[in-house]
Amino acid sequence: MGSVRRRVDGKRLALTAALLALAVFWLSPVAWMVATSLKPTEDIVRLPPEWIPWPVTGAHYREVLVGSSRTARVGRAFANSLAVATGSVILVLATSALAAYPLARMRFRGRDLVFAVLVGSLMIPNAVLLVPQYVLVQKLGWLSTYQGLIVPEAAMLFAFGVFLLRQFFITMPRELEDAARIDGAGPWQVFSRIVLPLSQPVLAALAIFAFRSAWNDFLWPLIAVNKPDMFPLPVALALLRSAYSSDSYGPIMAGAALSALPLLVVFVVANRRIVEGVRLSGLKG
Amino acid sequence: MSREARTAYAFLAPGLLLFAVFRLYPLLEGLRLSFTNARLGRAAEQWVGLANYARLVEDTRFHVSLWNTAFYTVASTLPILSVPLALALALNRGALRSLLRSVFFFPFTLSVVTVGLAWLWLLDPVVGPFNYYLRALGGPARSWLADPQTAMWAIIATTVWWVTGYYLVIYLAGLQDIPRDLYEAAALDGASAGRSFRAITLPLLRPVLLFVVVTHVIGSFQLFGQVFVLTGGGPGDATRTVVQHLYETAFQNFFQFGAASAMAWVLFALILFFSVLQFRLLSGHPEH
Repeated sequence: MGSVRRRVDGKRLALTAALLALAVFWLSPVAWMVATSLKPTEDIVRLPPEWIPWPVTGAHYREVLVGSSRTARVGRAFANSLAVATGSVILVLATSALAAYPLARMRFRGRDLVFAVLVGSLMIPNAVLLVPQYVLVQKLGWLSTYQGLIVPEAAMLFAFGVFLLRQFFITMPRELEDAARIDGAGPWQVFSRIVLPLSQPVLAALAIFAFRSAWNDFLWPLIAVNKPDMFPLPVALALLRSAYSSDSYGPIMAGAALSALPLLVVFVVANRRIVEGVRLSGLKG
Repeated sequence: MSREARTAYAFLAPGLLLFAVFRLYPLLEGLRLSFTNARLGRAAEQWVGLANYARLVEDTRFHVSLWNTAFYTVASTLPILSVPLALALALNRGALRSLLRSVFFFPFTLSVVTVGLAWLWLLDPVVGPFNYYLRALGGPARSWLADPQTAMWAIIATTVWWVTGYYLVIYLAGLQDIPRDLYEAAALDGASAGRSFRAITLPLLRPVLLFVVVTHVIGSFQLFGQVFVLTGGGPGDATRTVVQHLYETAFQNFFQFGAASAMAWVLFALILFFSVLQFRLLSGHPEH
């Protein structure tokens, strides 16, 4: 018995050790990116690779944030991305919560049809909408504006938000809503004072999911923005690459590391919520 | 109309307006454009029937992009299915699992551009660490992204690294739903780990596997960002994809909106066809 147990423990230990080694390997592209961003230019191309930068410099970060003549300023792009992601989170949360509530709780004609169309639309590939959406946004005069990025991004996530929130609303006990109604509360009051506060976890999961999606989107802003001052981060970074080509990876890696920062912070603070949001996204299939 | 119905429509109105204008209308408008010779700034576009589609039959660069996209989709499916599944099985229980899960999930929080830039630098033929260690181990160091034989594989490796965390979470959720006592019963009957994986885990994970395959195929057909950053479609046209071809046709090359819309609808039809096919092949009830 004892030897079996030891053998099993030995296996476990070996598995954990292998996984730890794989984890270190898994993080190496990011580690290399951060190490490069902190090295003085002359150290960057040195071989063998130096994983721990010494001496450390913040010069590349200063260069991309404040901006030299060669770059679309990453500092400005960072602010653009923050504005676009925040705006689209608010728009997605507001529209999908409002729409999901009657779909979960009220009786009206066309309810099943509306829901079926929304769920069906989850299968539409975004690339298919690229050209007509550009034509539309151009006609609205929204090219190179925040609304030209926020509104299509929010529209893209609306159906998923409705699906996610409706599932949650359906599983909520009705008693509190009934009690409020007996006390004379109207539908809006029931929704805003009872339903929304009880839905905080799922709203947070959706918010993080929407933030990640808007923060990282690349193809739509690549075509919908043509003023350098309005570039969000992924577009600015892609252009940073051609601006520096291969003569210095320092500023490029500094920009890339900066772009990872907000979601890293969210990830450390709310790891659970992100994973929850992603897990729930799997339900749509 | 009842009061309840009026309230319901009022709640639905803002979202449905957003949805109708920015999702449904563009979908139909795209289909219409595909039958016209629309270009940016062309005032009077004309109906050209199936001419845009007919031209795709001749467009050899489109064929190359289709082939590359199909190759990528097929070649990446097995690693995308198996790497996160292996990790999920290893991380379902055991020490340090939440830390390790976080590590493998982390790349999924990055944008495709950030991922692309990090790998571009990692794989740099001269001073990148990947080739350095490969050379140190006596391996064949080369310019992975500039070689038509390996460029697509480098893009696949990059993508696997990027999205493994996403599928890992999906698989873990699926594994948690499998009742533990099934494994205990199997163990009592003397079933090996491999046998219970085949007899219990795989059949019960079938809906999850279906979700992963369908999601992956829909995403693969739209491959763009990784290619844009890592190779630009090169060397030659070795990694040019359908969406890249569409993007260049519509936005770099005389803004040919009609022609690009035809490509978009061919792409859409292919995605629908393969999604339905996968549902047919993979759904259905496990034998037990």
